[in-house]
Amino acid sequence: MRYIILVVLNLPVILLAFMNLVTRYKLGKISVQRFRIQFFLWLIVFVVLVASFPVYNHLSGRPVLDAESLSLFDIVQTTAIIFLFYIINNQRQKIEATDRTLRELHQELSIRFSTGSDKKR
Amino acid sequence: MSRGDTQRVALIIPAYNEGTVIAGVIKGLDSVFRKSNYDYTIIVIDDGSHDNTAVQAKKSGAIVIRHLLNSGAGGATATGLSYAHQMGYDIATTSDADGQHKPEDVLKGVNLLAKKHFDLLIGSRLINSRGMSMVKIIGNRGLSVLTNILFGIKVTDSQSGLRIFSRKALESLRWKTSGYEFCSEMLWRADQLGLKIDEYPIKVIYTDYSKAKGQNNWNGINIVKSLVKRRIVEMFE
Repeated sequence: MRYIILVVLNLPVILLAFMNLVTRYKLGKISVQRFRIQFFLWLIVFVVLVASFPVYNHLSGRPVLDAESLSLFDIVQTTAIIFLFYIINNQRQKIEATDRTLRELHQELSIRFSTGSDKKR
Repeated sequence: MSRGDTQRVALIIPAYNEGTVIAGVIKGLDSVFRKSNYDYTIIVIDDGSHDNTAVQAKKSGAIVIRHLLNSGAGGATATGLSYAHQMGYDIATTSDADGQHKPEDVLKGVNLLAKKHFDLLIGSRLINSRGMSMVKIIGNRGLSVLTNILFGIKVTDSQSGLRIFSRKALESLRWKTSGYEFCSEMLWRADQLGLKIDEYPIKVIYTDYSKAKGQNNWNGINIVKSLVKRRIVEMFE
């Protein structure tokens, strides 16, 4: 039951990430290569999440790998980590875009102030 | 300075607090390019210097673009190339403001690029590294190896400031970092864009001034950190 809660809580975040990724790719904002890498990374998160219960069943009872099943706290923590990963990634992209805009603005202003030109020749 | 249908060359010098040597560097470039057939302009990008770099550069006949804020070597180089692109230059060069690059090597690179139609030509100090200190050789070779590992670009001197750009490179080449790590990132971007990259041997003049101003290996550690971070971060972009 707890593993189902884990999947139910995290699946929307992962689906959202996939949706954003496909949208960005379709809008030409990222290259095919970058799309593939990111898709692969989110796929790993998805597979690990979905496979967590069978993997736990497989490992339980074995020496060294035997562990307690997930507590509710573990579920909240895992969900928070995946959600934060998603948020941080999105925010970083926005910061980079702002940084680029600011840099280009600075460049353009420096050129215009220094040369007195406001038109491309 | 127009000479009919000759190629227009922008000689860009990013500079930060180089007031004591910038005039000499400009005069050196001017004297060598005056004998060539190129229609050239010397452009100094003053990266928010606190000294008289801009005044000295202007007195020596260069076009001076003053950064409103200090942006680092990568930022200053980007501004220079952006200006060259806006003004429709055919070829642009970047060389260090501390006078370590011989003007003859700059001209040699421009001739090579014009003749062999490369998009980005790097003046390599390490093809023939005689005269360089062992510390600098190790540091620069290490960064070139790292550039190869991270980005798959095989060059002998990924950190050289002497670079020649074609019009195609001026139009398309952009990078994200603003510190010295831009040298490696620029090669990566050029490779991603499918630009033709090559290098040619140059000789550097190390004076006490350029030694004092130049990069030390501790700064190399910062460059390594930034490059590794950039490579990892872009996996998620």
